[in-house]
Amino acid sequence: MGSRVRIQEEDFSIQTEVEALRSCSKRIGGIATFLGCARDFSEGRDVSSISFEQYAGMAEAALQALREEALAQFDIIEASIIHRVTRVHAGDQIVLIIVGAEHRGPAFDACRWLIDELKKRVPIWKKEITPEGDTWVTEHP
Amino acid sequence: MTIRVLFFGMIAAKLGRHEWLLPISHEITLAEVIEQVGCSECKPLLLAVNQQQVKDRTTIIRANDEVAIMPPFAGG
Repeated sequence: MGSRVRIQEEDFSIQTEVEALRSCSKRIGGIATFLGCARDFSEGRDVSSISFEQYAGMAEAALQALREEALAQFDIIEASIIHRVTRVHAGDQIVLIIVGAEHRGPAFDACRWLIDELKKRVPIWKKEITPEGDTWVTEHP
Repeated sequence: MTIRVLFFGMIAAKLGRHEWLLPISHEITLAEVIEQVGCSECKPLLLAVNQQQVKDRTTIIRANDEVAIMPPFAGG
């Protein structure tokens, strides 16, 4: 819990985070969420875990800027972004984006925009650990 | 006088270090910093000065500035 934008090692509870956002305004009529998880397969190889690295300070500032841009650009009421930076295993939660709006359209649009922009603009990197060796991920599909 | 140069991801792995305190005797350009730390051939490359992303490699770097040399972002 806490700030609407967080980078943390520990796992998060979707239910707790959605409830925190929902309780901020009774004008919210729709909440869209995006949950990014660690896959066990990538580029034709088994992936046992993923290790994340961030540029501390700049990464959180970039997330904060994204949230503020989304609030200005879309007809939404509130947004929160949580990104884990640690070593996660296949199936673990990585990133959570929650957007609350009066109506579903802007909530979905802003949620999609936030995850797409996060991948382009936030200085976070991931290394996939596979039986064949470690690989830094360079693309953001 | 020094500047603090930070490396991330595959660039840090390639150079074998995450940080370099680079001595400078006068103001230099970002392009000169990249060359001095051996990243001229690193592509693609994203750059930040004092935690602000910049694209212009003629940006002047002064004592105590923090320069980040980064591969493309891959969060999410």
